[in-house]
Amino acid sequence: MSRRRQALGGMSLVLVLVWLVGYPLLITLLEALGIPGAFSLAPFLEFAGRADEWRALWHSLWISAASVVLAGLVGVPLGLVFEGVDFPGRRTLGALVALPVALPPLVGVIAFLFLYGESGFVSRGVQAALSLEKAPWQLSGPGAILLVHAYSMYVYFYLFTRAALVRIDASILEAAASLGAGRRRRLWRVTLPLLGPALVGAALLTFMTSLASFSAPYIFGGGFRVMTTQIVASKLNGEIAMAQVESVTLALLAFLGLWAMRRAEPGHTAVVGGVRGVAPIRRQLRRPLVRVGATALGWGLAIFLLLPHLTLLVISFVPPGTWTTEAIPPVLDGSNYRSLASAPERLRPVLNSLWMASVATLGAIVLGLSAARSAVKRGGRMGGLLETLLSVPWALPGTVFAIALATTFSVNRPELGRFVLVGTPWILPMAYLVRSLPLTGRSSLAGLRQLDPSLEEAAASLGAGRLRRVWRVILPLLRPAILAGASLAFITALGDFVTSIVLYTYDTRPISIEILSSLRLQDTGVAAVYGVLLMVVSAMAFLLWGRERRA
Amino acid sequence: MPPFLILNGLEKSFGDQTVLRDISLEIEQGEVLVLLGPSGSGKTTLLRLIAGFEQPDEGQILVLDEDVTPLPPERRNFGMVFQHYALFPHLSVAGNVAFGLESRGVPREQRLSRVAEVLPLVDLEGFEDRRVQEISGGQQQRVALARALAPDPRLMLLDEPLSNLDPSLRERTRRELKSAIRRVGITAVWVTHEQEEAFDVGDRVALLNHGRLEQVGSPEELYLDPQTLFVAGFVGRASTLKGTLVAAGQVKLGDGRFVGQGATWPVQTVGEVEVSQEVVISLRPEGLELTETDRPDALAGEIVERQYRGEVTYYRVSLEMGGDVLVVGGTDRAAIGSRTGVALRQAKRPARAFPSPSEDSK
Repeated sequence: MSRRRQALGGMSLVLVLVWLVGYPLLITLLEALGIPGAFSLAPFLEFAGRADEWRALWHSLWISAASVVLAGLVGVPLGLVFEGVDFPGRRTLGALVALPVALPPLVGVIAFLFLYGESGFVSRGVQAALSLEKAPWQLSGPGAILLVHAYSMYVYFYLFTRAALVRIDASILEAAASLGAGRRRRLWRVTLPLLGPALVGAALLTFMTSLASFSAPYIFGGGFRVMTTQIVASKLNGEIAMAQVESVTLALLAFLGLWAMRRAEPGHTAVVGGVRGVAPIRRQLRRPLVRVGATALGWGLAIFLLLPHLTLLVISFVPPGTWTTEAIPPVLDGSNYRSLASAPERLRPVLNSLWMASVATLGAIVLGLSAARSAVKRGGRMGGLLETLLSVPWALPGTVFAIALATTFSVNRPELGRFVLVGTPWILPMAYLVRSLPLTGRSSLAGLRQLDPSLEEAAASLGAGRLRRVWRVILPLLRPAILAGASLAFITALGDFVTSIVLYTYDTRPISIEILSSLRLQDTGVAAVYGVLLMVVSAMAFLLWGRERRA
Repeated sequence: MPPFLILNGLEKSFGDQTVLRDISLEIEQGEVLVLLGPSGSGKTTLLRLIAGFEQPDEGQILVLDEDVTPLPPERRNFGMVFQHYALFPHLSVAGNVAFGLESRGVPREQRLSRVAEVLPLVDLEGFEDRRVQEISGGQQQRVALARALAPDPRLMLLDEPLSNLDPSLRERTRRELKSAIRRVGITAVWVTHEQEEAFDVGDRVALLNHGRLEQVGSPEELYLDPQTLFVAGFVGRASTLKGTLVAAGQVKLGDGRFVGQGATWPVQTVGEVEVSQEVVISLRPEGLELTETDRPDALAGEIVERQYRGEVTYYRVSLEMGGDVLVVGGTDRAAIGSRTGVALRQAKRPARAFPSPSEDSK
């Protein structure tokens, strides 16, 4: 009897996940094909016949490929240095350098804007130094997009490189040394080849992230369209069918990427013969000059990478209208922060984002954990399906999901599971929840997989029923995994821009949308304040994630 | 009074692999039954069926005539000690021990007093507030036992409780576990793959092989009166030789064309064996002796290995008729490479003849 109840529970979980994740995508595909109504390939044919669509597709692909190369060029050496050489401050800087990955993309973008943009610190500095008439450059087009991508996505290469380096057995390097290979030779012939699988993983991750990237192309792209910005533009122009076709195309590309990633996964460990030895020892720098040099280089790089965020902080203290032509802002005070606190309309987006992100995170925890538990317990085909459903929103660009949700939940057909949610306060939390599912679900899965199943059996043999087992054994033991997933989910929801821009209403406008409108109104100080807020909350959640992950 | 625990025709398969076939067993109140068998014999699966973590495909499990087969583990009131202890890492020693009482809704005061009652049973008084990661393996083992004992279960299940310990700790912990179980007087089912452990702790031993019960009996019965060739080989040291039953209780070994290459030995037959049928005889080392080579009842061979064990010395003799046997030698040293005869030590336990496996249906 309890078995039947379990099976029922599993089924209803699958149904909920399908409704949230799979169903909107299906509806989008069907509507793009003209269903319900006459089946028609017309929108697809129109898509194929339009030069601007092909251009956007091509832009997406080459920008993503170039992002991979640039991010790798920054991330891999950085990982090699931080994992391979010991210098003062290595640990702290090592953590800070990974921070950009946790910051909402939009924050990174506006930070870049304030630093390197037309009226940013650097261009003003150059302008003043060379006494130029106008700004020496404009931060726009593919170059700007690539810059931002490289800047935020090197972290994947950095983290993957470090993780793989730790896993390399020191005796392999020692064997190479005993065979006469010098330091450089060991790096090229042993270390880097062993990093291969990790680098492939990082490259695919970067490619997928870049393919889904919206903030940078939206802010810096101008006339240069990629698929994500093209989709939103079609939607805003009222070309719904075209937006749907574009979404389907982008989704296909993303699934292709996911498939490639899955194939690359098994080779992830750089361990030969299944025996895991001791990780290589970090090189201690003895010669003082080299030591000073390495330290300076490490700090220099870290500061350079964190400079945009420092800029954001500075700009947030520049009162409106006080910084005109000077190279450095003449006045700094807290008036922007005060205006936020005193004007309820300005505080509104902060509160909106907070409650919507909280609700979404909570929902994602409950749903993600239940699905993960069900997947681990039953395994087999049902388990596989649950796992796939948990991963899909991660593989798909947020823009695609936003269009899918907008398509599915703007119609009232309760018998088909479709309700009008667009325009209500519930559509955004729902979108955030779906986007956060992979974060909470996958971390729960990882946690549950590490959990000795006999712990739950022990609790059962001691008379604990299902609820008590979850509450007293599973949850306390999974706390680190759940908190880690939840903090990332919260960050993602709090800073979300890509789904918000498609689905927000004025009453539920989140922080990111308010940043955009402040920028439009030339209210850079206020935009920076919002950015700093997002940054601080995200950094806190990220640190919590790091702590819990280590626990 | 009915037997305390009855296993009735249990069958279990995972996919197309049959793990247990037709297991029927009865266990008396207060008895310690050991499930012994090589790895993969199904002993742990049987224990998990009893515990309720797995459901049998066929058969019932009865406790005092009550069918508990459909009950989930949490409603069976059995205690279990897990192979890797499965102590809750987020709870203290006392928290672990009190867990089962908490599940049964026992108020806090009583829980604490029961913890204080149980910990001395396993020699752990004063350990209440320790974290379970901080204590030694042997102590963790005892916490696991205390935790299982605390709710006063009807039956104690132990899944290879010593396999996770250093060999040096194993014997001591075995003694402690055994005495704690005896003191409480609880009925127990103890799984192990080590014969010595099984004989030490079990009132009776159930030997499993390939999912079947080979024999159930006291350690003495298993050792002295094995019912199958597998039991004879698995329990204690034994050598086997092929021969032919030439008359009731007489097995001819070798062809006997030369002196020392054949002999006819008295045996006790087990199972259905007919005259002139091929048999396998099983010989305990202490049932054999080293002799002169020219005795008519001796088989000649060469000493190929010598294992000095203090109180006795084992010699492995490679026989000229083929095969080799293990023999307990006297105090006199016989050199490796020397020729010797091997004969039955009449006063000792007789050889046993089993149907030759090739003719056995299995």
